[in-house]
Amino acid sequence: MESYSNMRKIDLVSGSIPSFNRPMGTGILNDNVSSRAELDALLTKVGRDKDKTAFAALFSYFAPRLKSFLLRLGTDMSTAEELAQEAMIMVWRRAETFDPKQAGASTWIFTIARNKRIDRLRRDGRPLPDMLDPAMMPDQPETGLEAVNRGEEEDKLRHAMKKLPEEQAKMIFAAYYEEKSHREIAEESGLPLGTVKSRIRLALTRLRANLDEIER
Amino acid sequence: MNEQNKQKAKKDEVISALLLDYVTGALDRPLEILVETHISLNTQSAKQLRMLMQLGGVLLEECEPVSLSEGALDAVMNEIHAFEEAKANNEYSSSSQNRDNVVSFIAPSSEKLTTHLPRPLADYIPDLSCDKSWRRISKGLSQCRITFNGTEVEANIYRIAPGTAIPVHSHEGTEVTLVLAGGFTDETGAFGPGDIAIQETGATHKPVADDDGECIVFAINEGNIRLANPIGRVLSYLVN
Repeated sequence: MESYSNMRKIDLVSGSIPSFNRPMGTGILNDNVSSRAELDALLTKVGRDKDKTAFAALFSYFAPRLKSFLLRLGTDMSTAEELAQEAMIMVWRRAETFDPKQAGASTWIFTIARNKRIDRLRRDGRPLPDMLDPAMMPDQPETGLEAVNRGEEEDKLRHAMKKLPEEQAKMIFAAYYEEKSHREIAEESGLPLGTVKSRIRLALTRLRANLDEIER
Repeated sequence: MNEQNKQKAKKDEVISALLLDYVTGALDRPLEILVETHISLNTQSAKQLRMLMQLGGVLLEECEPVSLSEGALDAVMNEIHAFEEAKANNEYSSSSQNRDNVVSFIAPSSEKLTTHLPRPLADYIPDLSCDKSWRRISKGLSQCRITFNGTEVEANIYRIAPGTAIPVHSHEGTEVTLVLAGGFTDETGAFGPGDIAIQETGATHKPVADDDGECIVFAINEGNIRLANPIGRVLSYLVN
């Protein structure tokens, strides 16, 4: 088999648990990948042409981020490594079903990793729901306009995130990282755990308000 | 804020917390199914869930990369290669479920249930067509117990005849109820299709089914069972 190792780029950080203290919006620019449209195009190629070079490029962007995300969730180093690899294998297997009009590559891969992780936590062998299955959405047919705007929707969300004060943006991160990091934040900031939780709630409400404002 | 607005704010808060728990994987299987069913009935929540998933994607992009082990890509490529070969040799069969089974069933009274269960829930329910599935609890109230592999959580579907008042009762554990059809009213407000009601341990209530049709609910009770991963964050949100 051909080797793809040489395509991997060297990551800035290795082995350490990623920190919260990183400004928002740096996610895409510090990589070989220059835009989200490029990520979508790579994933489309994998699905349509079984393009292994495109897959290797997706791997070098997403696998280290998946590992990082899983570590933040309190997953141990070797499980995070395994799950990141398993998620990427699933990305290959499911790539045919990727539709950039429905969700961007990052959102799509996030849902795959989410399912993989829950599957691992649960270990009951039950098939997991397909987050992007139309059955999970309300019956009313979407208007063409709404469907076309899915990609824009994600851009608006990023914009709304950037409009949040940094403290609140951190709270949104915390919302995804469960109890462990709630306690961490509580210790760092000296706030009671209950207050941290209500601040998370507040940050999400604020984010939704920002979104509504942008949409108007 | 008047009483009605307060009730609505509380309901919204519960749903937001459930959706967040769902996305982050903090819910056990029965509650996940409850949330999925809720999503299929409520456009607003479907939109909110989509936003939370997109936010997950944004956060993933923002994660500081952590290198995988040496040779990880080659290992993954080998797996993919093996998968493609197996597929070419037809060794791999898709494990897709038949999701198009619409569950309809006969009640003990032999009266046909007019409402189809929403699909996310129906997909996980074995066979409701046999009368044995149903137990009459009191006048106008029958129960069908649902069990899930790998969890001891008690889940039930209740059918409540129009206008039936359920006697005052208290709950031993937290109970989460999703209205599938019809509606009911209790001290905490009115609930219609897709609405979620939460009864905390020790709370007493006296629900009355709306009189314009049968009320069908899906209820999950965490009881006194100790779970590795109970109702996630929802409880702590309520307590705060």
